[in-house]
Amino acid sequence: MQTIALLVKKPWFLGSLVVVFVSVILWNIPIEKRKYGLTQSGLVTDYTGLLPERIERVVKAENRSELQRIVKQANVDGQQIAIAGLQHSQGGHTYYKNGVVLDMRTFNRVLEIDERQKTVRVEAGATWEDVQEAIQPLGLALKVTQSQSIFTIGGSLSVNAHGRDIRFGSMAETIKEMTIITPEGDIKTITREDPDEWMKYIFGGYGLFGVIVDVTVDVTENKLYTVQTEKMKIDAYASYFDQLLNDQNMAMHYARVSVAPSSFLDEMYVINYKQTEKRDYVTALKKERSVRLTKLALDIGRHGGALENLFWGTQKRYIASIDGKEITRNNVMRSESTFMEYTKPGRVEVLQEFFIPVHRFEAYMNELKNIIPANDKNEDFKIHNITIRYAAADPFTILNYAKEDMFGLVVLMQHGLKEEQISEATSIIQNWTHLTLDHGGTYYLPYYRYQTKEQFRRSYPQWEKFAEEKLRRDPNNVFQNMFYDYYVK
Amino acid sequence: MNHKGTRYLPLVVTVGQVVIFPYYIIWLKEVSLTFTLFAWFFAAFSFAAAWGYQIAQSRTNKDHSYLMFIYAGMGIVYILIGAIKNSSDILPYAVILLQVILGLLQGYFRAWHAEQDTYHLHAVHHYLIVGCAMIGFSFVKIISPVVVITIFGILMCMCAVWELMRNEKKKTIIPGK
Ligand SMILES: Cc1cc2nc3c(=O)[nH]c(=O)nc-3n(C[C@H](O)[C@H](O)[C@H](O)COP(=O)(O)OP(=O)(O)OC[C@H]3O[C@@H](n4cnc5c(N)ncnc54)[C@H](O)[C@@H]3O)c2cc1C
Repeated sequence: MQTIALLVKKPWFLGSLVVVFVSVILWNIPIEKRKYGLTQSGLVTDYTGLLPERIERVVKAENRSELQRIVKQANVDGQQIAIAGLQHSQGGHTYYKNGVVLDMRTFNRVLEIDERQKTVRVEAGATWEDVQEAIQPLGLALKVTQSQSIFTIGGSLSVNAHGRDIRFGSMAETIKEMTIITPEGDIKTITREDPDEWMKYIFGGYGLFGVIVDVTVDVTENKLYTVQTEKMKIDAYASYFDQLLNDQNMAMHYARVSVAPSSFLDEMYVINYKQTEKRDYVTALKKERSVRLTKLALDIGRHGGALENLFWGTQKRYIASIDGKEITRNNVMRSESTFMEYTKPGRVEVLQEFFIPVHRFEAYMNELKNIIPANDKNEDFKIHNITIRYAAADPFTILNYAKEDMFGLVVLMQHGLKEEQISEATSIIQNWTHLTLDHGGTYYLPYYRYQTKEQFRRSYPQWEKFAEEKLRRDPNNVFQNMFYDYYVK
Repeated sequence: MNHKGTRYLPLVVTVGQVVIFPYYIIWLKEVSLTFTLFAWFFAAFSFAAAWGYQIAQSRTNKDHSYLMFIYAGMGIVYILIGAIKNSSDILPYAVILLQVILGLLQGYFRAWHAEQDTYHLHAVHHYLIVGCAMIGFSFVKIISPVVVITIFGILMCMCAVWELMRNEKKKTIIPGK
């Protein structure tokens, strides 16, 4: 006690205390989370904040009958409802001018797990993470999800998301049954065999055909995988992938293309997850790790030029270092996301995804070089990374992006918010979309709509059927959002 | 006691600091991402204040007080706060630095102030003035915290200039004594 009292009298001791404490704080300052989403007053935005809009109010229903009452009442009052999960979609899909936003996050329970049948019944406002937490101790894992587990089930099915699995087809295929509230306010249980074909419109229906209340989803065993990584040239990828698909031991796969000036659209690496016989019950779900370091690396890459070469070099070294490691299926499906947070005033970072038929990949990548600059150091419009996934042909949904087996190129890009900067970005992305369409490809709809209405119609030729069915099933236009307003209406 | 500076400047500083405190808290709350961080910001301030207090107490030459730098330092910190844009990624890092500087300066000032003859009189006056000022401020609804903080920063810089002039005067008086 006395020594402490003596020490406190020494300025050097207090000085050291401050230095140590401040260092601890500096290390623990959380990476800033984007401020977006629902507020009861003022403007509503989604993940990018590019489309602020005034809405009437946000409602949170406590139970199904309340949900049903809200929808029925909207039919009577001529009110418009938009449905929101976690609002990671970026083109105003979850709100509508002067409309009501149905916040689905209150429906977040895992209702039932059938270990024998390997199915899980879960409410639509729960996230994939909630499901993972419930099924991991039973040695079970999801069949298809995005690469992160931060999205709601309702939001993911409504955009018909896809991920790293190359065996199970589309996310829609993994859903056995679901409960919905139709635009007229009826509660319905639907299956894929349902003669009214509700599922066809609900999957990839962007919340325009009804509220998903709960779903029964097929799950699989939480296998342990061995990571296999390889560096290659772009022109070798399509045939490499063909072989990979024939190798039944390969469960999951993705790739990353270089956008660094020194190896621009020329070099890439692949990451495969190879089956082992082992099923895992014990490995904990991984948490966000090394966020600070990965964010720092990405921040360095964000500068472009030589720093982007450095970033690409670091990525390659990291990828080589994980070769041969083991990881559980659940953990492959929950990659880090916080390091991507970017909140610089006056700028925005957005995602776009272009789908390209597998056999057109090489020619497409060559022509892409004419559209985006190899070195964007001094450009306003910058590209930070391109990852590649496989999306198997999906003949089931109406707005299907994978008419045949496709590669999806997920692109993280950044641009300024001044009018001329936005129009420059729009024109580059429209040119890119044009090229994609010319190669028989499409683009993904949950992201910001830089594309023209014409490009939407070319990408999704069944849009007329979509619009027709929308009018038939929702004659009072109860379910509405800005996405529908812009593209379909 | 004889100098107006010794009489009024510390009073302006102590009253001012308490008066802007609520505004400062609102600002700090806005820039803290979580309550934990908000609490840590305060802890850093307190540790730094203890350090500053101790530095002031262990001065050998008690007449030489560096007060001008203390006022100017505080003024600059508050003006900087006024100039900061709210939504930058590095903001929490900048804030922790400002908290430490502010704590250090305040601790030092308090230690110096407590040693002055005027201290006990000031303590009474400052409570009364703060009470009245806060009632007055409660009628002003639209000023944002940043504006008040910046104005106080400018006032502190003016105190620094006053202190500088006082020192110059003292220097010219003493040789001719
Ligand atoms: C960082 C990041 C990574 C991503 N990675 C991938 C990826 O790997 N693969 C991929 O396919 N996509 C990916 N996406 C896109 C993502 O899948 C979609 O944005 C998805 O919609 C997010 O779910 P959410 O809960 O945020 O849905 P929201 O954005 O809230 O909603 C999306 C749509 O679903 C509707 N909806 C929401 N809940 C319901 C409900 N209960 N009933 C009916 N309709 C509903 C909404 O009205 C809206 O139209 C990514 C997005 C981000 C931001």
